Amino acid sequence: MNFNVASPETNEELFEVIAANQGRNFRFGAGCTDLLIELKKQPEKDLTVINLGYLNDPQFNSIENNDGSVRIGALVTANRITSDLTIQERLPVLYEAANQLASGQIRQVATIGGNLCTASPAGDMACALVALKAECEILSANGKVRVVPIEDFFTGVRKTDLKENEILRSVQIPVNNSGEKVHSGFIKVGVRRSMECSVVSLAYHIQITADDIITLAGIAIGSVAPTIKFASSACEYLTGKRFSEIGSSESEEFATKILEYASPISDIRASAWYREEVLFNISKSIFE
Amino acid sequence: MQKELKVIGKPMPKLDAGIKVSGKAVYGQDVVLPDMLYGAILRTEYPVAELVSIDTSKAEQLAGVVSIITADDVDVNNISYRRDHPALKKGRVNCIRDEIAAVAAETPAIAREALKLIEVKYNVQEGVFDPFEALKDDAPQINEFSSHEKNKNISHPFHYEHGDLQQQKDKSAHIVTSRYFLPRMTHACLAPCAITADYSNIDNRLTLYSVTQVPFLYQRDMAHVLKMEPSRIRVIQTVIGGGFGSKLDMYPYEPICALLAMKSGRPVQITFDREEEFIASPTRQKMVIDLTSGVDEKGKFTFRVAKIIMDNGAYTSWGATTPFVMMQTFSSMYQMPACVFDADAVYTNNVYAGSFRGYGNPQATFAVERNIDLLAEKLGMDKAEIRLLNANFRGEFTGQELEFNTCGHKDALEMVIDGVGKTRKENDKDQKRYKKGIGFASMLHVGGGAKIYPSDGCGTILKMDDYGYLTIITGSSEIGQGSETVLGMMAAEELGIGIEKIRVINTDTDIKPWDVGVHASRTSFVAGNSLLGAIKELKTKLSPKAAEMLKTDEDDLEYDGGTVKSIKTGESIKIDKVARQIHFKGPNDLLTVSHYYEPGSKFADKNFKGNISGAYAFAAQAIEVEVDTYTGNVRVLNIHMAQDVGKVLNPLGLGGQIEGGVVMGMGYALTEELKVDNGYILNPSFHEYKLPTACDIPEIHFYPIETIDEAGPYGAKGVGEAPLIPTAAAIANAVSNAIGVEIDSLPITPEKVLQALSNKS
Repeated sequence: MNFNVASPETNEELFEVIAANQGRNFRFGAGCTDLLIELKKQPEKDLTVINLGYLNDPQFNSIENNDGSVRIGALVTANRITSDLTIQERLPVLYEAANQLASGQIRQVATIGGNLCTASPAGDMACALVALKAECEILSANGKVRVVPIEDFFTGVRKTDLKENEILRSVQIPVNNSGEKVHSGFIKVGVRRSMECSVVSLAYHIQITADDIITLAGIAIGSVAPTIKFASSACEYLTGKRFSEIGSSESEEFATKILEYASPISDIRASAWYREEVLFNISKSIFE
Repeated sequence: MQKELKVIGKPMPKLDAGIKVSGKAVYGQDVVLPDMLYGAILRTEYPVAELVSIDTSKAEQLAGVVSIITADDVDVNNISYRRDHPALKKGRVNCIRDEIAAVAAETPAIAREALKLIEVKYNVQEGVFDPFEALKDDAPQINEFSSHEKNKNISHPFHYEHGDLQQQKDKSAHIVTSRYFLPRMTHACLAPCAITADYSNIDNRLTLYSVTQVPFLYQRDMAHVLKMEPSRIRVIQTVIGGGFGSKLDMYPYEPICALLAMKSGRPVQITFDREEEFIASPTRQKMVIDLTSGVDEKGKFTFRVAKIIMDNGAYTSWGATTPFVMMQTFSSMYQMPACVFDADAVYTNNVYAGSFRGYGNPQATFAVERNIDLLAEKLGMDKAEIRLLNANFRGEFTGQELEFNTCGHKDALEMVIDGVGKTRKENDKDQKRYKKGIGFASMLHVGGGAKIYPSDGCGTILKMDDYGYLTIITGSSEIGQGSETVLGMMAAEELGIGIEKIRVINTDTDIKPWDVGVHASRTSFVAGNSLLGAIKELKTKLSPKAAEMLKTDEDDLEYDGGTVKSIKTGESIKIDKVARQIHFKGPNDLLTVSHYYEPGSKFADKNFKGNISGAYAFAAQAIEVEVDTYTGNVRVLNIHMAQDVGKVLNPLGLGGQIEGGVVMGMGYALTEELKVDNGYILNPSFHEYKLPTACDIPEIHFYPIETIDEAGPYGAKGVGEAPLIPTAAAIANAVSNAIGVEIDSLPITPEKVLQALSNKS
């Protein structure tokens, strides 16, 4: 496993090193928890890893609580996400996803940007962000910024919308500050209770008014399709309903709608049959 | 009457704890010798193939490569007790672990790079990966050295029986038959395999820095392979980061390393990375067990008929002899009037199995205990009650002629039945989604060695210096099980000296006396008895002098607080002063003694009958689980474990063995399986080979039972393997109890649970 490392410390240096590597084989590395395993398995020739570990830019490194949104820099680690009080209170789905990611050691270095840019269908924080309808802020080496909805960010298994001269700078998550209740969480199914890669995952974030009406629902599913899927028809089904009146037949209908977005494969971790079965069960479980 | 014990039975931190937690311990990977080279092994790309050609010429050109060997370069004998395993493969490969060539180079990176330059041409062939296919007449002969008459692809068949089977069948009110599927499990030792070989062509001696758990058998086996005299081989054991049975056999990488050292004339080290550890280490036997059991109308067991097919893999290791242990469980766990047992280790082109803590017993116990639950259900009898009714008892002489001079089986069952009654809260009613269940299982295992080799003994040499410090040179080995601490405690107890004045030397075959090795939960029992015998001899030197100095009788002496005391006069003298008097005044002797202990057990006869162990360990577990019927996940809530340990020697060490064993059993039950498809290993990493994590571990309630077996040191029996053995069986019974489905295979994955629930509805 041999590669060159470039460690930019400022935005200018970052732009330079991205520009210098255009047309060459390069990868970004932040926590490197996936990257190093991947490179060990399949070494790449003449590779440069652009190490973002020394990049000193608050837009990459910080969590900002703005009015109506939370902005999380791509280099923020899973551990920092779990210790942020606003995220704990207002975005439980993201808190739980970050908290269930891999192991304590990995959460200490793994970044939210890495979790997104790896574009694994099993990404935990990525799944939560899809449910939250986050927006990705993408910076290009010429200094331009563009924003894409997270659903459009993932284009296939381990494929993103990022162009060769672009880097993910942050994600922006809308937060409703009207005082509505949220029913929000992340369900991760695997063989063991920690250090696990999702066999099936479900992220849900539902806002409920004081008089029990669902005003907004975000549902995303992981490890059951080539990319994380936003189950929009299931979300539409919920919107406008009284939360406390969702009974077993409604929750099964809801689960059936979610299943329409699943096209799982059988692999070493589980069969397609198991994944669909479990997805249905955990989908209905969020109303139990 | 037993005198009051001051050290034994009190918690004592392990003697090697300090060096391990501070990183000072020298594991196999840490050995550095002057001028040392690094070895690496080229393994086959295909499980089954003819080796058309091996071209090492490009690799030889690589700067830093010193030696390369293939089968053509060496003159060696085969490995394995069946002599069916060439260290380097010639002509063909038979499984994905197969070693084709090896390189010694100046750095590990050069050695690995050189492997890539070796060009091998294969003629890939179809393999046989199912042992039932291998038994068919038209199957090819898998191992060319296979010699058994019964079938060309049977490495080792076993048959055992006792009792009048027909009579017992006639007595039976219910008979159940089930087929059980047990998976491959790997040891997952924290420290991967490592060896350093140093050959001197000046005196033709070979020194091996090895992680073996059986150094003297290893010395003999290595000598056989290398065609050397055993005494020219010195085995120095490094600190061993986990054995669990995996280091009972010698594997090809070890003689290969020696051969590289011989060829290069320099020391060579071979270490595995984690992936190679998964691929090249042996596994627990994958097996299929057909078990038929009977019970009479009152709930007394009548008979068992077991037929077992073990996937031996391409070569034979000690693991093929696990039927020795399994047959005891079928013949003698719970009172058993009649038993017929057949087991065949069948060659396939899969990775070969080895020995693993429990030695077949977890598999056998799984089958027996699942069958018992089925019988209880047929009878409508309580599952605890049926076990109590059939429990083993003190004084029992079993059909296999095992003699239970002490037996805590019934006490163990009662303890866990009571314990699980307490933790299962009354308000714990089943919910729609989560279903709770309880499962029971027992275990019987040797607890005083196992006489399968011409001697099951252990030697001890003691040396007390002029300052009253004691060196224990024991034949036994420490592989993390805590036996050297227990030996130190015994010496501290008997000689009344502080444990800080005791050193245990146990790693060098040039120094230590013979011992058969760490296996069969034997070390504290056998090495302990050997040490106690040696201390007795040491006292025949110490006591007369002390009595003379104290002007009292030898019978009045007490060894305590670093002194020898006269009980009669109350006068005392420091033990080191006695030592100096013996040395310098008279009789001008040194306090050096040696002792060899051979357990009073017998060899089994040709029908496998006989009392092969000095004592027997019994245990029972009651396990509470909660099954998530939405996901199939099984959560273990409480484990109650009661074990007849004879006598608790070191509660801290014992607790470690119990908890470690139970957790290993949980992995076997729920998550661990080395998956092999068409001979390829699918999950050679901790990412996909799922060991339980701390989050999965429930409360473990441990109840030691002391039956004080007079054969053991202070009454103790072996404990190391027992806690793992019944765990998977009890968990399977608990899951079955929770959701009302048959559990006939391990691991009980969420998918299997959901599938079983789906089949049920």
